[in-house]
Amino acid sequence: MMLEHILVLSAYLFSIGIYGLITSQNMVRALMCLELILNAVNINFVTFSDFFDSRQLKGNIFSIFVIAIAAAEVAIGSAIVSSIYRTRKSTRINQSTLLNK
Amino acid sequence: MKSISIYLSLILHRMDLPGPIHDFLLVFLGSGLILGGLGVVLLTNPIYSAFSLGLVLVCISLFYILSNSHFVAAAQLLIYVGAINVLILFAVMFINGSEYYKDFNLWTIGNGLTSLVCTSILVSLITTILDTSWYGIIWTTRSNQIIEQDLISNSQQIGIHLATDFFLPFEFISIILLVALIGAIAVARQ
Repeated sequence: MMLEHILVLSAYLFSIGIYGLITSQNMVRALMCLELILNAVNINFVTFSDFFDSRQLKGNIFSIFVIAIAAAEVAIGSAIVSSIYRTRKSTRINQSTLLNK
Repeated sequence: MKSISIYLSLILHRMDLPGPIHDFLLVFLGSGLILGGLGVVLLTNPIYSAFSLGLVLVCISLFYILSNSHFVAAAQLLIYVGAINVLILFAVMFINGSEYYKDFNLWTIGNGLTSLVCTSILVSLITTILDTSWYGIIWTTRSNQIIEQDLISNSQQIGIHLATDFFLPFEFISIILLVALIGAIAVARQ
């Protein structure tokens, strides 16, 4: 019963993240919703590794890799957003050809 | 009878706290997660939504402590709250403008369609979760494992596996982080 509650919470975070990612008009808010999606997946991994795999903890190790990849992606994403802002002075997400010269 | 008692002791071994405290903490963290998730998406001021993302990340880290995964909880707190959330706050505060307060998230057709799709995804996931018989799966995986007393803590086990079985992904992750940070600095520098 506890497993199902945690999985339902992670499914909720995932769907809220997808909704925010699609409907946000601001690039930084889209980055934040992407972090929500990755954290929902991490909750799933850690919960399954705790319930089914207490000997080898493969889910825990994969979630550490997901955290590292998310850190790299936030760094690159914020660099891209700041360079877009520097050239066009606007971060609306529907101007998608902004990095063209 | 002996197998049932072993099964019950394995299930109860995970819950170190007494039952009501565990449930209360779970409800508390769950409500923090629900409100924080709504706050990230629905708040209009991007600084408020960045802070509510920080609340979500701290609640998830406490979830990991309740799930007996102390290393991932510490890594989440250090990396996500300490580095990634701060980087997002830098991005929010650096890119300021008066246009953000007009960013209303108006109820357009696209928003309604997306909320319909996301609600259907959520409902299908919830029905799949509630229809699966998890205790049958626990039973079949438990009977394959040797039941021993764990003398090694969680962090030590993760360290052992990272150093022996998962050494190659570990090195690749370090190369990926190096390349990503050099690329981010090169893009942001001009």
